[in-house]
Amino acid sequence: MSVASVPFSFSRLSLIAGNTFLEAVRQKLFNFLLLLAVGLVASAQFFREFNFGSSELKFISDFGFGALIFFGSALTIATTAQLFFSEIENRTALTLLAKPLWRAEFVFGKFLGVFAVIGVFCALTIGLMMALLWHREGQLMNIRPEDFANGRLIAYGDLLVVGVLQWLKFGVLAAIVLLIASFSNTNLFTVVTGFFVLVICHLQYLARDAWGNVDNAVLGLVVRALGFIFPNFQLFNLADQIGQGSGLSPVVALQVAGYAVAYIGVIGGLAVYSFRNREI
Amino acid sequence: MSQPVAAISIQGLTKDFSVTLRGVKLRAVDALNLEVAEGQVYGLLGPNGSGKSTTIKIILGLLDATVGDVRVFGVPANRVEARRNVGYLPEAPYFYRYLSGRELVKFYARVCGVSGSRLRTRVDEVIDWVGLSGAADRRVGTYSKGMLQRIGLAQALVHDPKLIVLDEPTAGVDPVGSAEMCELILKLKQQGKTVLITSHLLAQIEDVCDRVAILDRGKLIVEGSVLELVGQRDRQALIVDPLPEADLEALRGWLAARGHSLNAVEQPRARLDQLFLSKVSRPGRPGGASAGVGSNEVPLDAKP
Repeated sequence: MSVASVPFSFSRLSLIAGNTFLEAVRQKLFNFLLLLAVGLVASAQFFREFNFGSSELKFISDFGFGALIFFGSALTIATTAQLFFSEIENRTALTLLAKPLWRAEFVFGKFLGVFAVIGVFCALTIGLMMALLWHREGQLMNIRPEDFANGRLIAYGDLLVVGVLQWLKFGVLAAIVLLIASFSNTNLFTVVTGFFVLVICHLQYLARDAWGNVDNAVLGLVVRALGFIFPNFQLFNLADQIGQGSGLSPVVALQVAGYAVAYIGVIGGLAVYSFRNREI
Repeated sequence: MSQPVAAISIQGLTKDFSVTLRGVKLRAVDALNLEVAEGQVYGLLGPNGSGKSTTIKIILGLLDATVGDVRVFGVPANRVEARRNVGYLPEAPYFYRYLSGRELVKFYARVCGVSGSRLRTRVDEVIDWVGLSGAADRRVGTYSKGMLQRIGLAQALVHDPKLIVLDEPTAGVDPVGSAEMCELILKLKQQGKTVLITSHLLAQIEDVCDRVAILDRGKLIVEGSVLELVGQRDRQALIVDPLPEADLEALRGWLAARGHSLNAVEQPRARLDQLFLSKVSRPGRPGGASAGVGSNEVPLDAKP
């Protein structure tokens, strides 16, 4: 019997994403981590006596990015797992997937909802950090005008680009957590495994440097394969390049962004494939 | 001329679940054959673990069959297209608590592709139809169980499906809510919808279903129309005013002379749920404590 097909719909995708976003911002966890990160960034100016030899402005920037990366990673893993499993455990997924809705729309909708939540988190944290830097830099320009003979020192555009790249990195992490959640039975397993994968992704370059060029061909191949399977999160740490030489290279930034988008696409596709076979 | 397509057609359905890492299987549904014609109210009965919910999930495409063919209006159940004409109310439904009833129904309507001017009218229509107009702008988190069932029914109906699947629609709901749900099911039948219900509350199923199937340990035990299955065709019940003993004796004699016997003389009883409904006030209905057992508001069961 021939029936009209149900095409993949971006409208349904955005509905799921919007609902996921709404659910996330109403959760205490999101608001708690956001307040904590914003509070930490705001408090950076009170710690400027502890700048460990680097310039005060650099310290504020490092402190801000540290808060963004730490709380952003925690928020990404916890929120992605929570929002996925709340649908499964509360059985709202049953009602939703009994509608003419593709599972791919459900998974990508969840991803986009989480990605939007992390976007808000990153925007608020980076925005506050830039405002603080702008304010303090203005004060220093009055105190030591000789240091600012050529105008402001901080490349705010570059800071914004690094912030966007961090957001994309969290997107890769969210896709990984969704992939784990698509076959996992519990929220706890997903969160713990997500944190392990986060650590691997941050440290895999060490293994590649140490073992990638060993004489043992098999071991070298395994290490290279693992380096390919787990995205290298060190690539996203470009904050140190800000203010050095000609600043952040647009080409490098675009390459890193492309790297993130490619991983999001592939891992998201695997999550859809895994979730298609999941029995709800 | 082509034959009418069944609303649900299940042929040789078997579903196994792996219960251990060694691959030991648990058979939830075993070689089930079932056909639900369009326009019927069909009851799927059975104890816990009999395979009712598994069968429903396979019909809805939420689970894949291990073996067998399941079709909804002729379309394989595992295809998204099959769900176009299906509305589903899960057991003990839980919805997004932060949305109002109207927002919730609107959300599901949009997921089902209802849009434009039809969206608003259809959402208002179904909310009114399930009797929740007064509470439509309240958050779902504040709803009672009965109200959750009704908003659940509204979301199941919002895209005007031809088949409505109700999984334990009266579980955990008080008798008033259950009676209202039964009334809504009968209204759906009048509209020509096909309804598939699972329930443990057999009296209610008996009241609303045209046909029933009883499953046990995944196997179909009995299937047929309610009348065929529970009617006693070789017996009749006459309900009369109370007769004095002498008249009863005369009646026995009269029947004996014609080769019949009077098998039982009992006082007919109202069902307890009917008594409850006549005593308890229901929104928008007369009744309550003034109605008595003997009043006409309590319909007597025809069976002695």
